[in-house]
Amino acid sequence: MSSENSTDLLRQEVRAWLQENVPAGWREAMTNVDQELFFEAQRDWFKKLSAAGYATPHWPEGWPGGGRSLAEQKVIYEEVARADAPRLILYFVALYHAACTLMECGSKEQQEKYLPGILNGEIWCQGFSEPNAGSDLASLKTKAERRGDKYIINGQKTWSTMAQYADRCLLLCRTDNSGPPQAGLTYLLLDMKSPGVSVVPIHQITGDDEFAEIFFDDVEVSVDDLVGEEGNGWAVAQATLASERGLTLVELSQRMRYSLSFLAEAMQANGTSEDPVLRRELGNVIARVDGACALADQYLLKRISHQEQVGDASLVKLYYAQALRAYTTLGRKIAGLDGMFDPGFMRGATQETGNWPLDFMNSYNWSIAGGSNEIQRNIISERMLKMPREPKSWKWEGGR
Amino acid sequence: MNEFLKELQDSARQVMEGAGTPAKEESTWGQLVELGWLLTAVPEELDGLGLGADALCMLSGELGRNLSEAPFLPAALAIEALVQSGLENKAELLAGLTMGGELATASLAGSDVTASGSGDSLTLNGKLVAVQSADNASQLLVWSNDSQCVALVAADQAAVEAVSRPGWDVTRRLFDVTLNGAAGVALAQGAEAEALVARLLNLRDFAMAADSLGGANALLELTIVHLTDRVQFARPLASFQALKHRCADLKVEIAAAEALLNDSLLKIEGQLGSDDAVFRGKKAKYLASATYSKVAEECLQLSGGIGMASEYPCHLYLKRSMLSEHLGSQGSYEADIAEAFLRQLSI
Repeated sequence: MSSENSTDLLRQEVRAWLQENVPAGWREAMTNVDQELFFEAQRDWFKKLSAAGYATPHWPEGWPGGGRSLAEQKVIYEEVARADAPRLILYFVALYHAACTLMECGSKEQQEKYLPGILNGEIWCQGFSEPNAGSDLASLKTKAERRGDKYIINGQKTWSTMAQYADRCLLLCRTDNSGPPQAGLTYLLLDMKSPGVSVVPIHQITGDDEFAEIFFDDVEVSVDDLVGEEGNGWAVAQATLASERGLTLVELSQRMRYSLSFLAEAMQANGTSEDPVLRRELGNVIARVDGACALADQYLLKRISHQEQVGDASLVKLYYAQALRAYTTLGRKIAGLDGMFDPGFMRGATQETGNWPLDFMNSYNWSIAGGSNEIQRNIISERMLKMPREPKSWKWEGGR
Repeated sequence: MNEFLKELQDSARQVMEGAGTPAKEESTWGQLVELGWLLTAVPEELDGLGLGADALCMLSGELGRNLSEAPFLPAALAIEALVQSGLENKAELLAGLTMGGELATASLAGSDVTASGSGDSLTLNGKLVAVQSADNASQLLVWSNDSQCVALVAADQAAVEAVSRPGWDVTRRLFDVTLNGAAGVALAQGAEAEALVARLLNLRDFAMAADSLGGANALLELTIVHLTDRVQFARPLASFQALKHRCADLKVEIAAAEALLNDSLLKIEGQLGSDDAVFRGKKAKYLASATYSKVAEECLQLSGGIGMASEYPCHLYLKRSMLSEHLGSQGSYEADIAEAFLRQLSI
């Protein structure tokens, strides 16, 4: 009862704060602007949020804003979604992936060296995926060679979110080729200003460039920046990937729910509000979006009560990705031909801008990144439904 | 779900596992009466367990898993109507319906009924469709078109005619019932009746959602066993990604519909029949029965040839799912959901 009261109080407090502080008209202000302006807006929003303590609720007690229970974090995320506040996409990797990895697997020295920087707005990126290691991440080839008290890095990473702005990188490299793929990986912390690092942004189909390729040419990293043991990188990477603990999908599914009104507005705008076919499709999408919210919610409640089962997170992500596709597809259908004549894009807008082709294309971020739908289906079928694994070996038998 | 309900679910699952698929009407009915399942939602002050809609849904889910032929849902609706009524002899009537094995049944779909008179001298005219196991019922629960009257009608009067309508779904025996000036007793009239009808239809949506999800889960489990046991090309079928990804897709649909149902039951806080609860019930029923159909359609394909054989139960789930999509309020659930949503937006 008392904890319920305390989350109720927190909810009121966060709601009131957001009402005061969410930058009015940020969506319009971020439409068709260059990346520098977006960068500045993100920096301002991060400063505000962290000053209020809402940027780091998942950090341990003793840190500014830290020591919040998962239930309280959930409240903050729900309110952020409700207020349609900008997402902190520039800082997300730093605040979640980097911070949680450091807290769970980093040494005391590493924590003292890097965590204050994250609080001060240092930007981190994640160097995991490679051109030939996406779904099969463990096959990655970027090499780290030990020489004295340094590692020498050579290779290439890709799909690294905001790498072109990052100060530091969470880098997963190969130090050993002899054993199974997972065994030879090592986790390093890299200063992006090191000599030999070059970053090339990837221009996306939406007009945005949130991702980049990173090239390493004899880049030096001190052994002080090794996280965990050499060869233990796969386990450290799992800590990174588990860091946001379902909160993102609670927030995103709630955002999608609040954005259902965009569908109604689109119908009103072009006079299709009474179209019986569209109305039925709207009813279907509403039920599915509510299903996505309920599933994300249930997952977080399971985590809070330590009842999570293997595959639960995959169910949430797969269903969200599919509901988002259905939502944006219906938007395109309602907008019709007119929807195809507005190529403007919005930075940091997630996938609910009301520019339906843009939102539709952005929905693929959620069915591809962070473990594609197909990978989630493998996890669900093999680990949850206990269906046998695909045979591992494969031999090319025919001509092409 | 609280601990007590969880325990009740475990024991219900055990009971139903012994009942076979489909669980036969007579034996299942006898068993559920004996086990007090019809008392679960009755308030404690009326000697029930006071577990409300959560318990009814849980039991509907377990019965749905085994394609139960017993008219649990209509019986529960009649009991709920009686509980909400102000009838003087309601304790006595309740005892008969909950523990005496007496059945009061109801329509699982639409009705077209007018009522005149009041109290225990009502006259009812019209037609009810999809009334389950009407030939075994001593009473019928009836509500009028204008929702101004909810009544119990004795089934054995000459003015009540029940005609069996054999259908594709053999796990529920449905009847068309005609009322030709039948005598009835009012359970509620006027505004009270209106609220009661909303409550009953809302409960019906939630329980149907649960029945559908019980069936969908059981059929997916059965299909995965088949895929795991059957070997072709020297591999279990279940190891083929082309097949197991489809099972994963069905699992995720079921999981979301279940989460929506459970979340809805939690959020309505016992306020069945409120606008919010009705909206949630529509969404839960729609998503669950659409999911059931999708699961059944896919599982028939995934079962291959054996799915087309009547000895294998896949078709029974398919037929029950197809019927369930059409049961409930008549008209389109999707359209109703959209309308309620648009109405909320304009407030």
